[in-house]
Amino acid sequence: MAKAFKYGLKGITGYLEPAERELLRSLIDDVISMLEPAESASEDPLTALIGLDMNVQEPSDRALRRLLPNVTRTDDAAALEFRQLTERSLRENKIGALRAAALGLDTNDVVLSPADARHWSQALNDVRLVLAERLDIRDDADAEHVHTMQDWSQAEDVESYLALVYNFTTWLQESLVQAMLQSMEPRA
Amino acid sequence: MTLSVALGPDTQESTQTGTVTSTDALTAPDIPWNLVIWNDPVNLMSYVSYVFQSYFGYSEPKANKLMMEVHKKGRSIVAHGSKEQVEQHAVAMHGFGLWATVEKATGGGKDGGSGKGKGKRG
Repeated sequence: MAKAFKYGLKGITGYLEPAERELLRSLIDDVISMLEPAESASEDPLTALIGLDMNVQEPSDRALRRLLPNVTRTDDAAALEFRQLTERSLRENKIGALRAAALGLDTNDVVLSPADARHWSQALNDVRLVLAERLDIRDDADAEHVHTMQDWSQAEDVESYLALVYNFTTWLQESLVQAMLQSMEPRA
Repeated sequence: MTLSVALGPDTQESTQTGTVTSTDALTAPDIPWNLVIWNDPVNLMSYVSYVFQSYFGYSEPKANKLMMEVHKKGRSIVAHGSKEQVEQHAVAMHGFGLWATVEKATGGGKDGGSGKGKGKRG
């Protein structure tokens, strides 16, 4: 079993079993492949360099739309224009954090620098946002219902398995963020 | 003493003031924009507070207060600034996985009229 993250003399530390690291790695890889832009071959190198993407549209996939939301709720044209200017670099930023987190999954003992911890918390958050869309978590009642699934012997179908995975990543992120908040407190 | 000096270059003073005023008028329309964070059932309360503290540099009580406002009222205005500033914040929030939008601060009625974000969804 994984151990909760702690803040101590060595920084933020945690412990993950090989199977848990494998699970996290595949979840992270899934989100990375969702975020990788489809086209890249035949485009203007200058527009690519400055991160502009005039072909970008609001994603049709709900999970992707949650990762890359519209910047305004009231003006679709403005939201699309903003997306063209910023979405590519937002995708790259997210992929960067996810890759950095995956790099830390090579050993059972996890030791995180402040930058590592930030990448991990972002990566776990994006993983959870995607899982939550697949589980149809729309409100707090849905979230509580999913939260009742805690026993791995109950994992009989895809949905119950996803719920257990979601609860594991939630627990892991919560313990990490608690350790991060502790590390931010001024020490007398 | 102060008075006599102040009365001296009267005409020059007023010309300078005129210039300053017109510069203000040029930048003023850019100021009133809000960064809004929306509630969702996924983001952890601790994580939202951590983001407010680490990114905006807010104190823990202030970050927690804004986080609770998001949680209970469905949304909270967490920063103000020019359009460009709040858009930059919004992209940073999306990077953290928070659901952020920008809106004009007041007037217009274009953005649903919940300008101050208080008592609307209580």
